[in-house]
Amino acid sequence: MSEGLNYQFLVDTFFVALSGVPIALLITIVALLIALPLGFLLALTRINRIPVLNRFAQIYVSFVRGTPVIIQIFIIYSSVPLLLASIFEKYNINMNVYDVNPIWYAFIVFSLNTTAILIEVFRSALSTVSKGQLEAAYSVGLTNVQAFRRIIIPQTLVVALPNICTATVNLIKATSLGYAMSLQEITLRAKVAANVGYNYVEAYIDIFLVYLILCSLVEYIFKLYEKRLRRYKAVNA
Amino acid sequence: MLEITNIHKSFGNNEILKGVDLQIDKGDVVVILGPSGSGKTTLLRCINFLEKADQGHAIFGDIDVNLKTASKKQIHEIRQKVAFVFQNYNLFNNKTALENVTEGLIIGRKVSKDEANEIGKKALDKVGLAEKYNAYPSELSGGQQQRVGIARAVALNPDIILFDEPTSALDPELVGEVLTVMRNIANEGTTMLVVTHEMSFAKDVANRVIFMDAGVVVEEGTPKDIFVNPKEERTKKFLKRVLPEDYIFYI
Ligand SMILES: Nc1ncnc2c1ncn2[C@@H]1O[C@H](COP(=O)(O)OP(=O)(O)OP(=O)(O)O)[C@@H](O)[C@H]1O
Ligand SMILES: [Mg+2]
Repeated sequence: MSEGLNYQFLVDTFFVALSGVPIALLITIVALLIALPLGFLLALTRINRIPVLNRFAQIYVSFVRGTPVIIQIFIIYSSVPLLLASIFEKYNINMNVYDVNPIWYAFIVFSLNTTAILIEVFRSALSTVSKGQLEAAYSVGLTNVQAFRRIIIPQTLVVALPNICTATVNLIKATSLGYAMSLQEITLRAKVAANVGYNYVEAYIDIFLVYLILCSLVEYIFKLYEKRLRRYKAVNA
Repeated sequence: MLEITNIHKSFGNNEILKGVDLQIDKGDVVVILGPSGSGKTTLLRCINFLEKADQGHAIFGDIDVNLKTASKKQIHEIRQKVAFVFQNYNLFNNKTALENVTEGLIIGRKVSKDEANEIGKKALDKVGLAEKYNAYPSELSGGQQQRVGIARAVALNPDIILFDEPTSALDPELVGEVLTVMRNIANEGTTMLVVTHEMSFAKDVANRVIFMDAGVVVEEGTPKDIFVNPKEERTKKFLKRVLPEDYIFYI
């Protein structure tokens, strides 16, 4: 260990870590596809104080935000298989619970987690769009759906985008916890490679670099998109 | 053309409209006056279903509805006939001036984009904003924004335009440009129902003035009836307060 870094290993493992990127991105994208609409709808129930749902969303958010992601992973990863097993048994489905790809658990955990975060993001963004915008849309003859799609959502998105970017980057980073579910993502792949020759320092440097590059890229893409969306605020913002 | 009977509206235990009747004929310019809190805004909002009345009946041309139980479809049909100009403009912040004007045409009324752009540009020209088609609301002064608001209403070619204190959010030096636009469209025969504190507009442009107080219509008549020979004590008191000492009504 004292002979310094193993550069060959450092380079090779970089590509090993890199090969985990598609899985990390897949989880991120699935989680966002579920959490963006769901978070928006639940934020609406908060803003409009819809009975029951509003309360549900509030409690849900405090549960998710008040617990570490790793614990949420443990709970889902240990409880869902039990649940599945009993369902399989009841309906005589001939399938082994342990054959289920852990990525499905990752989809569940990260979607649930990101939804809670986006509820709060959208709630504060929606509260910056005045009620008059919606009323003006109604008054020119737009339906509820048209008004949201064309007036309210675009304005909400502009305000929410920086926070959605943060949530996305946090999500990418949180997928590193997928190793706890033996998910073949960036961290696990590099660590497994390191196990052979105890090259942990090199592996961690690689993991570090891969996340850094990935997250910087995502942030850059968000910034570009934000710039485009913000055009109408160019003057007073 | 527009006939409303017995509108009631409460917020909680607070009855704001206590049975208001209103009749407006084609080409009328009706001004509603009244002290703050008398229910003027609430009345306009109920007519356009931005607020749901507790009771009341309305006839809009060939549509006959109960204001409390109107269906979504009826509300949609009525909003095609009624345009609204808001006190604080409420322009769509994410749309240019021209897009603000064409939005209701293209999306609400299914007019083709080319035709809508043509109508929209004409409407903006009419309010003196030919240079500002592509400006966003954040790039316009209050007076310009309200003129876009008026263009947005005019472009829809509605049966009636409702104005809720269109100049009261404006700096004094910008009020004139908006009133001029309103006078112009009134002269073209647009049917208008206007809540305003601009007495000169009421006097010069309206053919009927309604004085409201505490949720009821206290008195209505021609501008001359109201300003020169008000009958009701409440009207006299209000006018004394809002008109300058040496105000002389002349025709
Ligand atoms: N959404 C609401 N909830 C509760 N009370 C309301 C609501 N909207 C209006 N009110 C109350 O109704 C009363 C009448 O309001 P309205 O806005 O119709 O008066 P107005 O005649 O337009 O007054 P102004 O000249 O100040 O605009 C006010 O006392 C107001 O506080
Ligand atoms: Mg008002």
